[in-house]
Amino acid sequence: MHRLIASGVLVMVVYAIALIIGTAIAAPTSLTGFTQVFFPQQYSELYGGITGDWQQLGQLFTQLQGDLFWKVFLGVITVVPAVFLLHFMIVGAKSFSHDGPQILFFNAFTRLIHWIGAIAFSLLVITGLLIIFGGIFGGGAPIRFARTVHLVAAIVFAFDAVLMFLIWVKDMFPALCDIHWIFILGGYLSKEKKPVPAGKYNAGQKAWFWLATVGGLAMAYTGYVIWGMQGDLDTVRLYAIIHNILGMVLVSLFLTHLYMSLFAIKGSLNSMITGYKPKEEVDILHSRYKYE
Amino acid sequence: MTNSLNDIRHAKSMIFIGSNATEAHPVSMQHILHAKEVNNAPIIVVDPRYTKLAAKATEFVRIRPGSDAAFIMGLINEVIANGWQDKEFIQSRVSGYEEMAEVAKHYTPEVVEDITGIPAEQTKRVAQILAQNRPASLTWCMGGTQHHIGSSITRTFCILQLVLGNMGKSGGGTNIFRGHDNVQGATDMCVLADSLPGYYGLSDGAWKHWCRVWDVDYDYIVGRFPDKEWMGKKGFSLARWYEGVLAEEKLETPTPVKAMIQWGCGSNSNSQYNRVVKALNKLELLVIVDPFPTIAAAVTKTDNVYLLPSASQYETSGSVTSTSRQIQWRYKVVDPVYDSKDDYEIMSLLVNKLGFADEFYKNIKEVPEDITREINKGTLTIGYNGQTPERIKMHMENWHTFDIDDLQAKGGPCDGDYYGMPWPCWTDEHPGTPILYDISKPVAEGGLPFRNRFGDVATYIMSGREEGQLAAKGVCNPGSEVQGGYSEFKEVVPGTNWKTDLSQKTIKTALDKGMAPFGNARARCVVWNFPDQIPIHREPLHSPRPDLVDKYPTYEDKPNHFRVHTRYNTEQNKDLAKDYPYVLTTGRMVEHMGGGAETRSSKYLSELQPEMYAEINPRLANNLGIRKDDMIVIESPEGSKIKVKAFITPRVDDKTIFLPFHFAGTLMGESYLKDYPEGYEPYVVGDPGNTVTNYGYDIITQIQATKDGLCKVTRA
Amino acid sequence: MARMRFLCDTERCIDCSGCVVACKEGNHVPVGINRRRVITMKQGEPGEKSISVACMHCSDAPCIAVCPVDAIYQRADGIVLVSKETCIGCGYCFMACPFGAPQFPKGNVFGARGAMDKCTFCAGGPEENFSAEEKKLYGQNRIAEGKVPLCASMCATKALLAGDADVVADVFRERVFQRGSGVNAWGWNRAYKKD
Repeated sequence: MHRLIASGVLVMVVYAIALIIGTAIAAPTSLTGFTQVFFPQQYSELYGGITGDWQQLGQLFTQLQGDLFWKVFLGVITVVPAVFLLHFMIVGAKSFSHDGPQILFFNAFTRLIHWIGAIAFSLLVITGLLIIFGGIFGGGAPIRFARTVHLVAAIVFAFDAVLMFLIWVKDMFPALCDIHWIFILGGYLSKEKKPVPAGKYNAGQKAWFWLATVGGLAMAYTGYVIWGMQGDLDTVRLYAIIHNILGMVLVSLFLTHLYMSLFAIKGSLNSMITGYKPKEEVDILHSRYKYE
Repeated sequence: MTNSLNDIRHAKSMIFIGSNATEAHPVSMQHILHAKEVNNAPIIVVDPRYTKLAAKATEFVRIRPGSDAAFIMGLINEVIANGWQDKEFIQSRVSGYEEMAEVAKHYTPEVVEDITGIPAEQTKRVAQILAQNRPASLTWCMGGTQHHIGSSITRTFCILQLVLGNMGKSGGGTNIFRGHDNVQGATDMCVLADSLPGYYGLSDGAWKHWCRVWDVDYDYIVGRFPDKEWMGKKGFSLARWYEGVLAEEKLETPTPVKAMIQWGCGSNSNSQYNRVVKALNKLELLVIVDPFPTIAAAVTKTDNVYLLPSASQYETSGSVTSTSRQIQWRYKVVDPVYDSKDDYEIMSLLVNKLGFADEFYKNIKEVPEDITREINKGTLTIGYNGQTPERIKMHMENWHTFDIDDLQAKGGPCDGDYYGMPWPCWTDEHPGTPILYDISKPVAEGGLPFRNRFGDVATYIMSGREEGQLAAKGVCNPGSEVQGGYSEFKEVVPGTNWKTDLSQKTIKTALDKGMAPFGNARARCVVWNFPDQIPIHREPLHSPRPDLVDKYPTYEDKPNHFRVHTRYNTEQNKDLAKDYPYVLTTGRMVEHMGGGAETRSSKYLSELQPEMYAEINPRLANNLGIRKDDMIVIESPEGSKIKVKAFITPRVDDKTIFLPFHFAGTLMGESYLKDYPEGYEPYVVGDPGNTVTNYGYDIITQIQATKDGLCKVTRA
Repeated sequence: MARMRFLCDTERCIDCSGCVVACKEGNHVPVGINRRRVITMKQGEPGEKSISVACMHCSDAPCIAVCPVDAIYQRADGIVLVSKETCIGCGYCFMACPFGAPQFPKGNVFGARGAMDKCTFCAGGPEENFSAEEKKLYGQNRIAEGKVPLCASMCATKALLAGDADVVADVFRERVFQRGSGVNAWGWNRAYKKD
C-alpha cells in the first residue's frame, strides 16, 4: 500500500518537473491572436530555404497528410481492436492459477519506470489521435490542450524510454527461439498450455520493446523537429512523414500490447503491479527462461 | 521640374542620371513605367550602381561618380557631330550655342571613356537613342548635384535638353524629382542663406519689396542687423553651418554661431558628421523642433538642449508645393496629440516671447490661410500670386475632375485649371503653367517663353562675340502683341517692374497683351556669372584618378564662400588615392527617409531595414577577405571611421562603396540609445554614413559633395 | 461566382515594400509576421526582378487538405481563410504551402506556436463582418466593403493586382500585349513607325 502511494507521488513529481521544464522554455503570452514573434533574423534564417530547392517533399507530404494518413490511422484503431475482439471471442484468454508458487519477474524500479512510461505513452497515443482527428471535435482549445499534453508526455516519455531501454535491453536481444515463436505466433492461436519457445521475454515482447524505446525516441526526436520547426522545410516535412508512419506502427503495437497485457493473459496486469508471475505461467509462456 | 510627373507619360525616351527614382520617388514610377509600356520608351539609367531603377532600364550606363559633366558634354558633342541637334530651336531660343559647341568638341567618346569609364560605343548609342526618340525627359536628383561641380553638372543637363530641343514640350523637359512633399515649397520660399523668399536675392530692392509685402518699416528691418552691410551678405549654408560654430576655419562673420534652432532637420544628413557633432556640443543653446527626438538630441551632451515636440502633417494644415510645382492643401484631421504643438503655434509662442509679434503677424490673422495670401501678394517672381487658399482647396475637393494625362480639369468647378495651378500662375484666373517654356499655348492658358533675366545683349569673353539674348523674330506665344523676343516688363507702374509691382497691374498688362511679364528671351549656354561659364569636367576634390587631376584640376580656393573659407585646389590631393583607393558614394533606401529619426521610429520600416550596411562588390570583398555579414570599417581621408555590416552585392562595381545615410545612434561600437529621452529611442540604430563622407562643396551653392569621395575599407 | 486572385506584375514591381507595410499597418500585424513579402531575384544584376508574394488563395489549397482540425476553409469566391479559434498551431499548413504563406506567432505554453496567421485577402475571418472580434484577430474586412485588399490598392505602379480572376487576367493580358512580346523597344510601333 505504501509502495503504491510512494509510486504515485513519484509519478506526479516526474510530471511536475516536466511541466516546469516546459514552461521555462516558453514565453508566456496570450493564447490566440497577435503576439510578439520571431525576430527578423530568425525569420530570415527560417525562410532561408525559400529560394532554394525546398519543394522536393511538399507534394508528397500534402498527399500523404491530406489523403492517406488519417485513413490508415482510422484503419488501425478499428481493425486492430476488431481482430483482437475476434480472437478473444474465438480463442479466449490464457489463464494460470495465482495460488501456487510465484516468481519475481519485475522489480520495484522496473515497475515504476514501466508505469511512468505507460501513462505517458497512453497520453501520447490518445492526444496524438485527438490531433489527427481534431476536426471531428471541432478543433480549438481542447485540441490545443491535447497538443500541450502531447508535448509534456513526450518529454516524460523520452526520459523514461532511455531508462526502460537500459533496464531491459540485456534481455531483449534476438535469439533463435524467437524465430520459432513467430512461426507459432506465440501459441496464442490455440487454447492449449504447451510450453512456448521464449526466454524471459518472447519475440513479440522484444519487438514491442525495440519499437517502443528506440522507435519511441525516434518519435520524440521527429516530434521535436516538427514542434520547433528545427531545420529547413524539406527536413521538417520528412520528419512529419516519419512521425506519422512510425506512429501508425506504434499505435498498432500499443493496442496489441494492451490486449496482451490486459485481456489475453489473465492476471498479467497484476504481475506488473506486484512484480510476481505464477511459476506455471513462466514455465509455459517463457519456457527457456532460467530463473533461480 | 519644368514639366510634371504626369507629363512623363508622354515621353518617347527617358534618361535618369544621378536619380534612383524607384527608391527615392517610388510613386512617380507609375508614370515612368506607363511611358515605357505604352510609348515603348527606352529608359536610360546613368548611375555608378545598378539600382532598382536600373533594373527597369533598357540601357544601363555605369558611370564613375563625379564625371557626369564629361559624359553629358560627350553626349552633346555626339549629338552635334551627327547633326541631330534641333537647329530651329537653337537658332530661335538658345544663346551661346557656338561657344558651348566649341567646348563640347573636347569630349569625344574616347575622352569620355577615359574620364567616366563608359565605353565609347555606349556614349554613341545613348546619344542616338535620345536623338531618335524625342521628346526625351531628363531627370536628375542628388546624384547630379552633390558634387563640387554640381552647378556645372546640372547646367550640362539643361544644355543637353536645349540642344535636343526637348524644352517646352510635353514629354520632354528637365525634370528634377524633388524629394519631400514640400521641399519645392521650402525652396521657393528660399529657406536658404542667400535669398529672400521667391528668389528675390538679398539686394536692397529685394529687402524693400518684402518689407512692403510684410507691411513693416524698412528701417526697422535694417535695425535688426548688426550693420546694414550684413543684410546683403549670404549667411552660413546648411552644408557648413557647423564651421560657423567651431570657428576653426577662417570665417567672415561678425560673430561665431552660438545658438541653433533645428526646425524639422535631421542633422545626420550633413557630410563630415563628426564635425557636426563637435559643433553641436559647442553650442550654447540648441533647440530641436521635431515630432521625433532626432540624433542631435542624443549626441549633444551639453545642457541647454531643448526638445519641442512638433505635430505631424495630420495635425496641421497649410499649402505645400510638389515637385511638379503644384500647390496642394493639407487638411488637419486630428488635433496635435500629447504635448505636441503645430509649427504655427510654436512659432507664435516664440515670436511673442521675443517681442515682435506685431510686426511678424501684421497681415496674419487667420492661420494658415493668411500666410498663403501673403505669399500670393509678394511672390511675383515665380508667379505664386494666383494660387489663393480658396482655389487650392477647390482643387483638392475636385481632385477627380482633373485628367491624369494632361492635368487639366475637364468640366466641373475647376474647369480649365491645371491641377494645383503649377507656378507661375499669374492671376487668380490663370490656370497655372503645367509645362514651363511651352510657347505653343498663349500665356494666359499656361504657355511660357524663356525668362529675360540676364539682359538683352551679352558679349562672350571666350570668343568676343556679341549676341542678343532675346528670342528670335516670330518666336513667341500665340496672341503675343510683340511677335518675337521682348524684355521683361518695367515701369508699367512707375518705379516698379513686374516683380516689385504689388498692385500686379504689370502682370495683368502683360497677360492682356498675350505676353509673359518676365520677357521672352533665349536660354543661355554661357553663364557669365559662374567661374566655368561653359560647364567643363573637373576631377572631384578627392579623386581616384591622379592622372586626370592634372588635366582637369579643380578651382582655386574660395575665401568667403557662405562666410567660410572653402578649399578647392589646396584640398585636391593626388596622393590620397594610394591610401584611400575606393570611391565612396551615398544614397537612399526606399524604406527610410532622410536622417531616419522618423522612419527608424516606425516599427514596420525598421523591421524591413534594421541594419546599417555598406554595399561592396563580390570581387572587392573577396580581395579584402570580407565575407557575408562581416563587420567592416570604412575610413575617410579626414580620419573618421564607421563600423557597418558588409552587404556583398554586384550593385556596385569593384572600385566603389555605397552607404545609405539614414542611420544614426551608434558609432564604432558605442551606442547613443541611452542618451535619447527614455521611451523615445528609435527601434533601430546604426553608424551614420555621413561620418565618413569627405570634405567637398559646390563652388556656387556649397552643396556637400557626398557622391564622390574616397575611403578605405578593412575587415573589423 | 467571381474567384479572387492576386497577380504581381514583375515588370512593374519596384521592390518598395509598400504592400508589405500597408498590410501590416492596416491589419495591425505584429513585427515578425509577414503576411506579404517582396522577393527580389538576381539582385543588383541585369535581369533583376521583384515579386510580391502572399497567400495565393489556391483553388485546390494544400493547406486545407492537410489541416487536421479543418481550421482552414475556402469561401465561394475562392478566398482561403483560417479560423483562429479552431487552429491548434500544428504547422502542417506551413509544411504543405508552396509559398510559405502561413505564419505563426510565438508565445503559447512550452514555446508552442500560436494560431496560424496569413493573408486574408482583406476579407477578415469567420467572425461576423466588421465586428470587433474579427478586427482583432484578422484585421480589416475590405472585401465586405467592396474594396480591393490594402496591398493592391496601395501599390503605386499597379504591379500588384487583386480581384476577380477574369478581370485581373484581362488587365495583365492588355499589358503584355502593349509591351509587345517582351521585347519592349522593338514592337510593331518601332518597326512600322505607327505613332
